[in-house]
Amino acid sequence: MASNVAQKRLFHEYKNLSTNPPEGITAGPVSEDDMFYWEALIEGPGGTPFEGGVFAAELKFPKDYPLSPPTMKFIGGGVWHPNVYPNGTVCISILHPPGDDPNHYEHASERWSPIQSVEKILISVMSMLAEPNDESPANVEAAKMWRERRPEYEQKVRDEVKKGLGL
Amino acid sequence: MDQSFNLPDSTDWLGTPLSLLAPLESSLRCQVCKDFFDNPVITSCSHTFCSLCIRRCLSTEGKCPACRSSDQELKLRRNWAVQELVDAFNTARPKVLGLAQAEKERLEKREDDAKQPAQKKRKVSRVAEEESQVEEASSQGRQTRSSRTRNSVETPGASQVIPEVIEDSQDDDEYIPEDGMVACPICSQKMKEEAVFGHLNVHTEEAQPPKPATFGSFMGPSQKGLSLGKPPDRLPAINYSILKDISLRKKLRDLGIPEWGPKQLLQRRHTEWMNLWNANCDSKSPKSKRVLLSELDIWERTQGGHAATQSPFVSSSNVMRKDFNANEWSSNHDDDFKRLIANARKKSEAQVRSTIPGAASDGLSEPAQAPTQQHVEALPPNGARIENSEGSDTNNTIDLSG
Repeated sequence: MASNVAQKRLFHEYKNLSTNPPEGITAGPVSEDDMFYWEALIEGPGGTPFEGGVFAAELKFPKDYPLSPPTMKFIGGGVWHPNVYPNGTVCISILHPPGDDPNHYEHASERWSPIQSVEKILISVMSMLAEPNDESPANVEAAKMWRERRPEYEQKVRDEVKKGLGL
Repeated sequence: MDQSFNLPDSTDWLGTPLSLLAPLESSLRCQVCKDFFDNPVITSCSHTFCSLCIRRCLSTEGKCPACRSSDQELKLRRNWAVQELVDAFNTARPKVLGLAQAEKERLEKREDDAKQPAQKKRKVSRVAEEESQVEEASSQGRQTRSSRTRNSVETPGASQVIPEVIEDSQDDDEYIPEDGMVACPICSQKMKEEAVFGHLNVHTEEAQPPKPATFGSFMGPSQKGLSLGKPPDRLPAINYSILKDISLRKKLRDLGIPEWGPKQLLQRRHTEWMNLWNANCDSKSPKSKRVLLSELDIWERTQGGHAATQSPFVSSSNVMRKDFNANEWSSNHDDDFKRLIANARKKSEAQVRSTIPGAASDGLSEPAQAPTQQHVEALPPNGARIENSEGSDTNNTIDLSG
């Protein structure tokens, strides 16, 4: 029941997330016909320049989930962050399988393991928004700005958030 | 898919008075597949998973998913105690959940009733001083109840031996108050509220016979294995790097599993088969080889060589494996495909339109259009056809000359 493992597991995660959602996070499959494609909404964490924003992201799961991690990508743009590629793809250690470490800086303990979950990914992304990791930035410009011109970075993030909300 | 959306889940307990059973149920589920433990085994770092789940993890990574310490499949040991727990819990689950949900509904009903004081007797009696009319009604209710209890006292034998179950209203008239009856959550028999708990013992007694059976079967497999003297042999792991394609292919043939495809696929198929097989060896009631083969076939269709989503060279290109999903691709590009089809249709329509009036010139420049033209020829009514016949004539001459 190879694919059923992935489907069932995703179903359990979906049910758990919908009955017992962590604060500021909503996630689920776009269509119940395809459990391998989800959309998530993450609220910008309070006390950060992302506060007040709501960020949509898509999650794509491999057929051998949970052996391999999903990928996550912010859609609609507007996430100016050292660990988010300009195209929206999220670069965070929990989304990387322990086997390969292209960036040579991540501890295996922070990486993907089959006992991780969508919920944990989304919580990690939320805390990533609050605390960028500039060791190996996905968006070099944003990382530079974050490191060297913090007020400008924060202003840009706030502007993007406002734009995202259509203000 | 619809079916799987009714899968039992630990969240089923949430919202019922037994919500504390949710964490209990989660702990009886495998952290990898989130299903109840199936042939649970314990690792050398003392974590428990389904046999198949941990085998798949170890064959991809060689590490325990919970603590990431290295482990080997050979060191996995069956965890009978957990199997027992899961079996017992699963036996009890439907009834306990049924009770919990019935109780939840009852509580909700009571809450609803509380919002409408006129219908609620007990609540009303507390607020009785305010509404004298309702007080009357409630006192009537109390009267009937007390008379009822008196009645049951008068027939002590019946109420003790038969736990006040009423099957037919005609049998004993004394037990038919219009309300105050509740349905047993298990068999839906109507009875007095106080009688439900006594009555439920009947069901637990009914449920007991299978229980010793499952307990007995705890000892079963080892005895059976001994008496038959033929526990299924486990498959050894293979060091694929020292095997040539041909010998690996022969191995698969000897095992009776498909042997087609490039070496990468052969390796992955062998690994999956080994995991399925060895996990089955951990089972109390092993499945037949045919069942395992059909499971391998499902793997083949979803992740193996027949999976449309993946190239056979998956492990050589991780990016492809993780990112590429044919279904998604086709759904994402569905619009593109439709647009292309629409464009193609428009084009051919445009061609048709242009070929009908000026057939001669078009026919000259593009002989490839001849089939379309001929097809069109048959369609339009007489007027067009006369014009077109010229075109097809010229076309024919070109075909002949060329």
